Amino acid sequence: MEEIVFGIGITALAGALATVAGAAEDTESDIGSQGDPNSQVQLAPQMGYIHRIFNKAVAGEPPAYGLWVALGAGLAWAFMAMQINPILAIVLGSALAVFVQGVYATTAYLGRTASLAKFGQPVYIDILKSMTTVTMAHAFVAIFTTVAMCHLMISALGHPFPLPLLGLVWGIALGAAGSATGNPFYGKERQYQEQKFGAGVPISASGNIVRYAEAGQRNSLDNGFFSAKLGGPASGICFGLIVFFELWRTVVFEPLAAGWGAVIIGIVIILIFAIIDRYIEVWARKTFGPYTAPEEASS
Amino acid sequence: MSVKIEAGAGGGIPHNQLVIYGLVGSLVLIYLTYLNTITGTQYFAFFGGLAAVVALIWGTDTIKHLCSYGLGTGVPSAGMIALGSGVIAALFGATTGIAAPIVTIIIAAIIGAVAGVMANHVVRMDIPVMIISLTELAIVGAMTVLGLAAMACGTFEFIGMITGEISILGFAVETYEFSLIGGSIIAVIFMLGAIAIQHSFNACLGPGERQDRTLMLAAECGFLSMITVAIISFAFIGFIPALISLLVSVIGWIYTYTQYIALSKRDAYAWLDAQPILEPKGGA
Repeated sequence: MEEIVFGIGITALAGALATVAGAAEDTESDIGSQGDPNSQVQLAPQMGYIHRIFNKAVAGEPPAYGLWVALGAGLAWAFMAMQINPILAIVLGSALAVFVQGVYATTAYLGRTASLAKFGQPVYIDILKSMTTVTMAHAFVAIFTTVAMCHLMISALGHPFPLPLLGLVWGIALGAAGSATGNPFYGKERQYQEQKFGAGVPISASGNIVRYAEAGQRNSLDNGFFSAKLGGPASGICFGLIVFFELWRTVVFEPLAAGWGAVIIGIVIILIFAIIDRYIEVWARKTFGPYTAPEEASS
Repeated sequence: MSVKIEAGAGGGIPHNQLVIYGLVGSLVLIYLTYLNTITGTQYFAFFGGLAAVVALIWGTDTIKHLCSYGLGTGVPSAGMIALGSGVIAALFGATTGIAAPIVTIIIAAIIGAVAGVMANHVVRMDIPVMIISLTELAIVGAMTVLGLAAMACGTFEFIGMITGEISILGFAVETYEFSLIGGSIIAVIFMLGAIAIQHSFNACLGPGERQDRTLMLAAECGFLSMITVAIISFAFIGFIPALISLLVSVIGWIYTYTQYIALSKRDAYAWLDAQPILEPKGGA
């Protein structure tokens, strides 16, 4: 009994760390316009919309976070093998992984922008100076919490995988959670607000992203504020729930039916969530309905 | 069949020439790490990382070649399949002793060709350069994995990758848990290579893409990966050899990074600091 209570405590702690990681990951990637909104940011100058948005396309978020977290975990593993205290090792490993992330971000912005010279998109060096550091800070939070969570799974719950492999798996999961949950808020609700709500993005409006702010010109830090308000917490809840339920079902139900208990509970959780999702979707369609005549929306 | 579009301005080094440089260069550099076994030291581990850099430059040009067939979002996937095929070939090749690099190249070529045939004839992507490009990418991935692994543990032989030393109560004990493969550092190398191989073309694509800038970025990504592998190698090889690896990678990285920034400055439309949006004449 005591073992299960301890396990649930660790599960809750890991879930809390994962929530912070998800929120930081989504804010980081949105400031860098990584993930699916990137296509519009990349397209904008070609359609004549010169902008001051940070465009750091390293890869999709899942592979990129797979690398940052696996690298942080690998370096932390190496420092621990050198008999360095685990907390210090995780901090050092995450800091070095963030250095790599920052360098990749700068080269991605410079490369993409220099290749768009034909369309008159200049390189704004102040974007690199002010925004790379902000994305690095968010990435550090995301990497540190995820590596710490992986270390907890190994040292407290006795997970059999070595730290770097667990980092790779959970890094990809973190990127996927942020990409799937957080990006719709930023891309579809903030980036394309030049279009009327519900109008979608017709081809003629491609690249017409929000470039001017209430006062002055918008840059990616404004998108960071927006992401921190909606997309970040949503991604955090998503990744936190994934980690919590994954560990909870293992800790509590693994003794049942020689391990099959955890598998069955996993399937039950998926079914429950599928039913909830379906209910919300049907409710939203009924309540908000299909997009009708534009005069109803005007005021 | 997909239509070929030119990724950027022509010119530069022809692709076939880069294939020869990449293949011969990475093979020779990987064999230079064998000096460790001959001399009984670990000072030559950094040659493995240099082999990875050369292979990555070649791989970047191959990806550019392949992705000029309109594979915009397929650029990162090309990196994944390269390293995915490569890591199998490298681990198999490593078990064959001194012949490891050559066996690795042969196995990788077979895996890559099979993947290419599958992509073209089963998935029906019908891209003319698919088979040869995936063969090249698998070899590049395999050489990158083998090179970085040789850099981390000082040898490209399998036995060195599955034994690590840990000091318990002052005694050095050989274990599997603290080895390159036992500790899954190979997973870190896989991701380092997969992101490094696709990043350069992914970052530089566009109408203004220039070969020298893209390849300089490939070298920069290679040296950046080397820095982190050099830090990890402190856990496997001696302090002085690991320090030499770290110094070589940091010097290479600083040089390529400053060169890349200079090349970006050359190609950019304008290089502005804290300036407003320059609206094009006539408005958007």
